[in-house]
Amino acid sequence: MKYKVMIIIIAVIFAAGAVGTFFALNSPARGTVRVISGGKVIETIDLISSDDRSFDVEYDGHKNTVEIRDHRVRVISADCPDQTCVRMGWLSSSSMPIVCLPHQLVIEYTESLDGIDAVTR
Amino acid sequence: MNPKVKRLTELSVLTAVALIIFVVELQIPNPFPIPGIKLGLANIITVYAIYRYKPYEAAAITVVRLILGAVFAGNFAALIYSASGAALCLIGMLILRRFIDEKHIWISSVFGAILHNTGQMAAALIITQTPQLLAYYPFLLVSGCLAGAFTGLCAQIVISRLKKNK
Repeated sequence: MKYKVMIIIIAVIFAAGAVGTFFALNSPARGTVRVISGGKVIETIDLISSDDRSFDVEYDGHKNTVEIRDHRVRVISADCPDQTCVRMGWLSSSSMPIVCLPHQLVIEYTESLDGIDAVTR
Repeated sequence: MNPKVKRLTELSVLTAVALIIFVVELQIPNPFPIPGIKLGLANIITVYAIYRYKPYEAAAITVVRLILGAVFAGNFAALIYSASGAALCLIGMLILRRFIDEKHIWISSVFGAILHNTGQMAAALIITQTPQLLAYYPFLLVSGCLAGAFTGLCAQIVISRLKKNK
């Protein structure tokens, strides 16, 4: 009996996670991005008007290289062992920032578009 | 043999096995480039130790594996996140062990994984001061449930096989 209750609790948490994942993946965005390093906004970039370029973000002796190309943004290199932020690729969702936890780097959209807007565009 | 020495040797071997599993897993490319998501196969040993050894012994194995794991991975910056996750997971599972028997280890392991992800997320939120990270929490929960069930089942099978052979 108690195991049934536990399994139901697990199922509920799992379902909540799945629903949250679905919404996180389905929130397209465009426009302005913020680069946050160590909790401070170090750069705000309007992707629509920005030129292609890349720049380094340094924090506590660590370095990430951020690239802006074709009005998109991504991390192209990081001197950490796990390379998660590089493999995350281009920033595409307003609710899923690119993060590099070891270097405390976050790249995110400042505002999101709601679903309907994104479709009509 | 001195029972204390025997115990210490067993714990050392378990720690070594956990470390080997950890290092081997590092070589497997992670299909999900999301911070904090991994299978965590080394936790099979943690779960096993929680059910087979005293609480402080399970804690010792986990602490040594975490620190040596950070040395082998060369990723000390990430240690604080995994350590907070492991701490919460360990405390939670040591309590759950009292209620969940050896035939239902996987349930206890899933709760452990959820606690691990919660601790990780809390540490990341506190350290980076970036509430946007919460968007990853649902991902962590889904992957944590699956990974926890898998590692828990592995530990459960190991324990039942070892009993049979005794």
